[in-house]
Amino acid sequence: MIKTYRASAGIMLAPAVTLIGVFILLPMLLTIWLSFQDWSTQTPFSNASFIGFDNFREIFGPTSVGRDFKRALLNTAIYTALSVMLILPLSVVFGLMVHQRDVAGGTALRTVLFSTYMVPMIAVTLVWSKLYSPSEGPLNQVLGLAGIGPQLWLSSPRSALISIVVLNVWQQIGYFTVLAVAGLTQIPGSLYEAATLDGANRREQFRFITLPLLSRTLLFSAVIAIINAVQVFEPVALITQGGPVGSTNVLTYHIRRVGIERAQGGLGSAMAVMLMLALIVIVCALFAFANRKDDE
Amino acid sequence: MSLAWISKLALAAGLLASPTVGWAQSVNISYLTHWSPETVALLDAAAKDYAKSNPDVTVTVRAVPFGDLLTTLRSQGGSSDGPTIGGIYDLWLPELARDKLVAPAPDAVAGEVKSAWPAGVVSAASVGATLYGIPNEIDVYALNYNKELFKRAGITAAPKTWSELKDAAQKLTRKDAGQQGFGMINSWAAGVVHPFASLLVSNGGELVKDGKPMLDSPQAGETFQLYEDLIKSGASDPAMATADANTTGPFLDNFVSGKTGMIIMANWWESALKSGMGDKFSNIATAPIPVGPSGDKPHSISYSWMTVVNANAGQAEQKAAWDFLVWLNSPKSGKNGASAMSDILMSMGILPTRTSDIEAHKDKLGSEFLSGYVSVLADAKPFPVVPGGQEFSESLQQTLEALQYGQLSAKDAQANAQADAVSILERAAK
Repeated sequence: MIKTYRASAGIMLAPAVTLIGVFILLPMLLTIWLSFQDWSTQTPFSNASFIGFDNFREIFGPTSVGRDFKRALLNTAIYTALSVMLILPLSVVFGLMVHQRDVAGGTALRTVLFSTYMVPMIAVTLVWSKLYSPSEGPLNQVLGLAGIGPQLWLSSPRSALISIVVLNVWQQIGYFTVLAVAGLTQIPGSLYEAATLDGANRREQFRFITLPLLSRTLLFSAVIAIINAVQVFEPVALITQGGPVGSTNVLTYHIRRVGIERAQGGLGSAMAVMLMLALIVIVCALFAFANRKDDE
Repeated sequence: MSLAWISKLALAAGLLASPTVGWAQSVNISYLTHWSPETVALLDAAAKDYAKSNPDVTVTVRAVPFGDLLTTLRSQGGSSDGPTIGGIYDLWLPELARDKLVAPAPDAVAGEVKSAWPAGVVSAASVGATLYGIPNEIDVYALNYNKELFKRAGITAAPKTWSELKDAAQKLTRKDAGQQGFGMINSWAAGVVHPFASLLVSNGGELVKDGKPMLDSPQAGETFQLYEDLIKSGASDPAMATADANTTGPFLDNFVSGKTGMIIMANWWESALKSGMGDKFSNIATAPIPVGPSGDKPHSISYSWMTVVNANAGQAEQKAAWDFLVWLNSPKSGKNGASAMSDILMSMGILPTRTSDIEAHKDKLGSEFLSGYVSVLADAKPFPVVPGGQEFSESLQQTLEALQYGQLSAKDAQANAQADAVSILERAAK
């Protein structure tokens, strides 16, 4: 009986497992294998030669290869951290605002917020590159009206990465607001009624009811926001080309430059493996932290 | 045999033959370029002209931004469905040839190119003794300056030496009006490296000699120091220097809007200046690169472009591609004895390379803007074409940008640039 059950389960799982194996696990394993090889992306896999950890030593070494990789890794980490730190609180704030059913125009506000997510990133990037223009950009003109001097935005290594983060937050915030609203709708209204009867004010209700019951939604939002942020590519490729002085050179753009433009497939794979490992560690740490909180 | 039988046999033979004939004669080839839509329209028109006498060959033109050109060639060139023809920068050729992405030119094509183009240009399109592409353009760097801003600053002539350059840059700088004397470029490897290399060769130095980087020379040290001096004096503002993937952006905007007094740039940006400045384009003049303290006379950097054929394309496609390129670059395809390719290049202010094209465009090459470039061509030194050249350029770009933004001193920049170049070129040569 158990044997038959196992066999039928295996047959039913086989198509999905095969697809995942071929399209997800196999490329991942191939990337890991290539990271230990000296291989040009323009040659067959059979031309790859095993060089042990040389690629990893190179990308963490003192030469320009190592320096550029470490800078790209740091830029990606800063970009991701800033994006998540801005997106999560803003999505909750906007979520609370548009969740108020008795406020006129709530649906319109929800639509407007979500509409930024529907605009293709390439269009967002092109528009924002003009908004950020230091000499003729509308942003500096508006700041000028308020008596604030022109800002350098994408033209300074100090502000270029932050300017790209702002662009990303503007585009993504609608999606995460919808997630926050979905989470808010799951919180029973009776909890707020009981808390009101117990004398809890709005701030206490937010702190002791809304935030704890929204934690699962926020965890999901954080994971998605991290994955999205790590994959940033279009604004860098279209506007800054990783500059100035490598200040916006993020890992996806750098891997593309090394692995495809320079055809250094082994080095590019080693960088991709490090990115994958970093992502796995961060996401696992996030889940472990959330589980610990739940246990408490 | 009855008439009905003859008709049936004829129909059957026709049905059998028609697909074979269609497959054998109809060839689709694609041409990948980074040109603007206006220039692509000219290439499309040339392809239509070609189709009149070659109805079975269809040429499709596809354009990508300059920043994506090499990546597109590398990612799609390995397949027979990738672009059949690609316009490439000579610096990329050694590695594209090493990776067998580009096909050697057939003997007949190579023979014609060697007889109709100057030897230096032919060598830039070759690896060893093998010719890989049909050369089309040559670009050279010169000093561009705004005559109106010079007049307002009381400067009567273009600077001939570095001390005159620094002096003029200082006089042209008006911080209150957001005006810089000398414009640098950042966020674009060639835009950063080529002006630096032009100043270096005008100071008697070289980037690479016999495959070895020469950035530790005293001449290179003086060039790094010139950059630091221009930045520290405020005569050059890196925040006005950013470029985007299309090789436009604030550095161009600032020059066309009269906020940059001087810039070192190549001839090809004539079309960008004209479209950005309109009638004010007449304010722009060209002069040789100022000579450094260790230099003997003005020199400049030149580089060339060529069209190559995908080595992985089918035999029929490769043959059709070479035939089309030979026609496009021949004196029969353009106006008044010029090639169609040279007419397209001249529409952008780019210097053609075929000897007969230079003769056919003599009048336009004598214009005030372009004649300044033609005059420095004889003393121009080709940008070194070595394996690892693109990575070397990108690494030097990073160092120069760090110097522009005050993150490195001239001395540290020189030391870093040399160390990086040694490691990159040694690795690429293995």
